[in-house]
Amino acid sequence: MVHQYKLNGYNIVLDICSGGVHVVDDITYDIIEAFEKQTRDEVITSISSKYNEVSIDEIEECYTQVESLKSSGALFTPDTFEPMADKLKAKTAGVIKALCLHVAHTCNLNCSYCFASQGKYHGERAVMSLEVGKRALDFLVENSGSRHNLEVDFFGGEPLMNFQMIKDLVAYAREIEKKHNKKFRFTLTTNGVLIDDDVIDFANREMSNVVLSLDGRKEIHDKYRVDYAGNGSWERIVPKFQKLVDARGGKNYYMRGTFTHSNPDFLEDIKVMLDLGFNELSMEPVVCAKGDKEELTEEDFPIVCKQYEDLASLMLKKHSEGKDFTFYHYMIDLKGGPCIYKRISGCGSGTEYMAVTPWGDLYPCHQFVGEEKYKLGDIYKGVTNKEAQCEFASCNVYARPDCKDCWAKLYCSGGCAANAYHATGSVRGVYEYGCRLFRKRMECAIMVAVAKALEE
Amino acid sequence: MEHIKTIKTGNLCESAKNGGCGECQTSCQSACKTSCGIANQQCENNNK
Repeated sequence: MVHQYKLNGYNIVLDICSGGVHVVDDITYDIIEAFEKQTRDEVITSISSKYNEVSIDEIEECYTQVESLKSSGALFTPDTFEPMADKLKAKTAGVIKALCLHVAHTCNLNCSYCFASQGKYHGERAVMSLEVGKRALDFLVENSGSRHNLEVDFFGGEPLMNFQMIKDLVAYAREIEKKHNKKFRFTLTTNGVLIDDDVIDFANREMSNVVLSLDGRKEIHDKYRVDYAGNGSWERIVPKFQKLVDARGGKNYYMRGTFTHSNPDFLEDIKVMLDLGFNELSMEPVVCAKGDKEELTEEDFPIVCKQYEDLASLMLKKHSEGKDFTFYHYMIDLKGGPCIYKRISGCGSGTEYMAVTPWGDLYPCHQFVGEEKYKLGDIYKGVTNKEAQCEFASCNVYARPDCKDCWAKLYCSGGCAANAYHATGSVRGVYEYGCRLFRKRMECAIMVAVAKALEE
Repeated sequence: MEHIKTIKTGNLCESAKNGGCGECQTSCQSACKTSCGIANQQCENNNK
């Protein structure tokens, strides 16, 4: 399978199944487009009539170069991966490597677009006890097999509403990781309201990553991210985020925003984040119920695509000035990215990754918490709802008929099961709007990588 | 004349030989949390 596109002055050709990326001139671009549909003579005739200033010899040479790319396995590589689709999950069956700990089903903000209904996940407000947290980590260690790196995300609601427990739990984790030869990598996702010097010191010492929620422009942020009195939170949190990031000493963080129907022009929000001194950024399209007033519309789509293109250009401009910044979705390592097993096996929700509620119940991921039919079990008895787990275990890129002919399938691995479920009622469906945005992002991300690679 | 510039990339078919160790990060564990993808993950296989 081949995908070709023109962006920012580059003619880019992707050989999907080998992972090959080529930059070609206009003639070669057209030859590749026709290569599998026409005979050699037909292609050369039609190309020479389009480019009548170019000699037949030149066109034939071009054609030969395309042929040789194909014969060397760098173009039109056939898709032979389907038989491997279940192997990674079969190989690692029963191994859990990551937990999302819902340490607080409560929040000090009242954001209208919150997928977790202000942290309550459509249930009661609650915080996780230290005992439940310890048992969750024990459960993770017990089920992690030979895997060394274990990931734990402190999530909510607002996790800092249970900060003492997080500190105590991390201390416990550091005790047990030595004993079991494991390494815990913690992430904290916070709205910033409760950040103080103690939090900054702790987060910068113990958290491999912190995800800081900021939507960019003050008026956009304050439209949604309000407290229970209706006051915006931007003024309160921005100086705290700046202080935390300044003190972070180069460790990972993400300034993470959500864009909605109110700000499809989200590049303006990215620029605000940059102006505030942040340079590890992520902006995510909103996930909400169909028909919600914040839902991205068909009219928003071209606006959003334009933002992605302009963002890519801005990244290259800043790069040329020595002022690089990262955008989560544009981070792509063409040389050392994930192997083919990972690329076809999906996100791992419900199998190697689960969410834990304050009561110790297990769900396939944070987005399924509160969906009773997807409750997998609990941290005491383990996974008991094998039927639901099977549904997730069998999720891979070849299990989704809609992914079959998609050029981006080995970059997304079938996408988000929760988005698919909310959009189609099935975890094996696809959230088509999200797919279209994903493809656009990938084209831009690869273009940025290509531009940088050509500089080298 | 150079018509094609091939960017240096890993080869997915080759990665089938030693891949599948499962040490890499869970894809939805970082700053995405909704728009899951695997393209930006790092390989963490120490036995390549």
